[in-house]
Amino acid sequence: MLAFLGRRLLWSLFTVWAVVTATFFIYNVLPEDPARVIAGPQARPADVARIRTQLGLDRPVHVRYGLYMKNLVRPPAETKDDAVWKVGPLRIDLGVSYLKRKPVTQLLSKALPPTLLVGFLALIIEVGIGAAAGVLAAMKRHGLLDYGTVTLTLVGISAPTFLTGLLLQHFFARELRLFPLDGYGQTSAEQLHSAFLPALTLGLYGAAYYTRLVRDEMITLLKEDYIRTARAKGQREWVVIVRHALRNALMPLVTVVGLSMGGLVGGAIVTEKIFRWPGIGSLSVDAIVERDGPVIMGVVILFSTVVVAANFLVDLSYAVLDPRIRKR
Amino acid sequence: MRSIRTKIELLGGLALTWGCSTGVAPPIGEAREGPPQQGGVLRTAFFTDVRGLDAATAFDTAASAIESLVYDGLVTYDDEGKLVPQLAERIDISPDGKRYVFPLRRGVLFHDGAELTAADVKRSIQRALHVKTPCPVPSYYERIVGFATYHDGKTEDLAGVKLDGDYQITIELTEPDATFLHIMALPIVAPVCASAGKVWERSFASKPCGAGPFKVTRYENGQIIKLVRHDGYWEKGKPHLDGIEWFLSMQSFTQRFKFEQGDLDYIRELSEADSLLYRTSPAWRGRGAWEPSLTTGGTFMNTEMAPFDNRHVRRAVSYAIDREQLASVRPGHVSAHAKMVPNVLIAPEPGYPQQTFDYERALEEMRLAGYAYDPKTGQGGYPKEIAYLAILDSYAQTAAEIYQQQLAKIGLRLKIQVVGWPTFLAKTSRRKTAQMGFAGWHADFPDASTFFEPILATKSIQDEESQNAAFFSHKPLDDLLDRARRSTDEAERKSLYRQAEEIVVQEAPWATSYTYSYLELWQPYVHGYKPHPVLSQHLRNAWLDRAQKKLAAADCSRGHRLLDRLTCPRPRRAPTTLALARGFR
Repeated sequence: MLAFLGRRLLWSLFTVWAVVTATFFIYNVLPEDPARVIAGPQARPADVARIRTQLGLDRPVHVRYGLYMKNLVRPPAETKDDAVWKVGPLRIDLGVSYLKRKPVTQLLSKALPPTLLVGFLALIIEVGIGAAAGVLAAMKRHGLLDYGTVTLTLVGISAPTFLTGLLLQHFFARELRLFPLDGYGQTSAEQLHSAFLPALTLGLYGAAYYTRLVRDEMITLLKEDYIRTARAKGQREWVVIVRHALRNALMPLVTVVGLSMGGLVGGAIVTEKIFRWPGIGSLSVDAIVERDGPVIMGVVILFSTVVVAANFLVDLSYAVLDPRIRKR
Repeated sequence: MRSIRTKIELLGGLALTWGCSTGVAPPIGEAREGPPQQGGVLRTAFFTDVRGLDAATAFDTAASAIESLVYDGLVTYDDEGKLVPQLAERIDISPDGKRYVFPLRRGVLFHDGAELTAADVKRSIQRALHVKTPCPVPSYYERIVGFATYHDGKTEDLAGVKLDGDYQITIELTEPDATFLHIMALPIVAPVCASAGKVWERSFASKPCGAGPFKVTRYENGQIIKLVRHDGYWEKGKPHLDGIEWFLSMQSFTQRFKFEQGDLDYIRELSEADSLLYRTSPAWRGRGAWEPSLTTGGTFMNTEMAPFDNRHVRRAVSYAIDREQLASVRPGHVSAHAKMVPNVLIAPEPGYPQQTFDYERALEEMRLAGYAYDPKTGQGGYPKEIAYLAILDSYAQTAAEIYQQQLAKIGLRLKIQVVGWPTFLAKTSRRKTAQMGFAGWHADFPDASTFFEPILATKSIQDEESQNAAFFSHKPLDDLLDRARRSTDEAERKSLYRQAEEIVVQEAPWATSYTYSYLELWQPYVHGYKPHPVLSQHLRNAWLDRAQKKLAAADCSRGHRLLDRLTCPRPRRAPTTLALARGFR
């Protein structure tokens, strides 16, 4: 088991390093000049050149890469506390945003809670609706409920989040004024209230997908011998469904939820823009449009770590759930 | 990512068209005449975020609009766009134009309560131009005596800025500079509180402090900037408002929704679809205004690359462009424009040199260039495709397609390459890289020089960082521009820039084509605002008729729209989007 964990951990670290390195080089070989973007189209050559020197962009790309990786993880004494993340004895320094001129760790720390709030709510919505609708559709197979669910999920999967988001905003915020049109709010209650529409936007897409997944899995499982046995033993139908079938149907759901973390972030990029949600998505869009390299790198590092960690946990849960994997 | 924004905007427009077939909501309240009222908070929004509010470093349009409320400078622009003293009592200029003396107003207080002195003015200028300050445009100030040594970090004192006691400051220049007062009106060198320090610190950008009529109490990136009245402001009775709330990163369609509900009082960034709705709405007739444009748009032609190294081809392009057709695609927002300097700065009197649309002449120029084209057979013309660089999701992309069609009629085949803004900047500034492409310039400050020197002078050409995308080098033009910069005689300068325009017409390094404007709207209860000829979103004199705004808040038809359709008396139905569009045509 320990060897399995060790192998997975090493692979996870390697994956994060590979993503960071690839992103760094892709960003730096683009035929674009962040100094020119920062200075603006009107800036004079001398000013652009000076900004380039200030940011260290006049150095060769491999030198910049070396410096970035060297600064990424530092001993505690070398950096200001407000510019780093503390991880045990180490300090993570992601540099300073070219445009906002704030430490990237500060920007990410501020943007992460809103994204986590929406992501968590979206996860509840998508898994909750997905599991419930999937089970109901499987139970009433070939019935009106099943066909209705299948049709709705098709619509849900096909509709891009920017369309769903706009429609939800139009009806729930503009017409009914049940929720704010956009923004984050200052109190926890306001933030929860404001988070609902972005979370629903993200959650509906996932819910449609999970409904299909759970439905198909349940249909297969409900034909299994052990389900027939359970029914023959006279167990109540809900016990058969929930305890015997659904439990097994959740295994692929766990896998997909882990893998979908990246997708959740991808959806958040658009959703957060529509709802002016100050999360990682909004930060990413602005950083990419304005070629704010340190922020782009910070976001990539953060999310590659999150996705890799989520997959590591999924692997771990497999090992816990399935003894055959432990023995490999 | 810009395409994501565009998709959101397009879908927003679609949702509006579908969901809001009732057209736009009528104005809130009535515009009643009367003396300015004190109090109230005005709310508005930006589509973009504001990067920071440190006067020395934030130079974009959004930041500048807020900075003009937070910082006062030594000089500013009056309602007609003329330079006038602000924190200075007057401006004394030596006869040789190299020495400017600014006696300061007494009793001017910063937001922190400290009194403004000449030492604060010098500290603020030095801070902005310090080697460690990431100011985007320090070279504007290169004519101040001692700039080079100070900006290179060789001295700690900017020799050309001198204190004459506590309330007077003198600035000496190496040579006369007609644009000097314009650059002194930029927020970059506006006096900042002592808390800003002598050297730039990044924390000041989120806690700005100046001597303007409003002070910043809350600043959250991507969310909101809250300004409140500076009670110690030097101009008695100003500002009228208790505060201004500026929402950031707000989508255009959300801005419209909030404007309709009275949650925003003034907006400027309407989508094309919404702009059309408001312009054609009977209820909004006569309201709002177009922001004066300080922008010139068109296409550049790289004079170092074939076929534009041939003057006749460039002239053919300038004659072949039908500017009215370009404007007709976005009526109102885009206007035909055929000279370098915007009309706000130099109005074109009869005979003023301008490029013109003349198809026959364009064909003749192609013949003179050796690429004769027969429109009847489609034979001839330039044999190769010309790469045209356009910017993704902008009007420049639309314009590129129109240029493509228009220039095909004279035998020039454009192959449009659509790229993002950073790529566009990189390619157009590199020697012998971009043949032809979008050309646009917004005034750094309201002076004709800014439309020539940075973009068409020989000194702006570099191998890598060229601002002169046309790589146009023309000695007579350079000489004219140098003379105009040094001249302090306005009539002479105007004449010199007229000659410069004539050179552009004859040599055609740019085919100037259009100018772009924003439609500004404000509710009738907002008073004291009109678009300023120079300063964008200049809200410092605005005031609110709060009684009218309260009436609007009590109007149930503006509340829970769907529910109120059942409970409120049915309001007069506005024309549908489709009907409005038909009517507009």
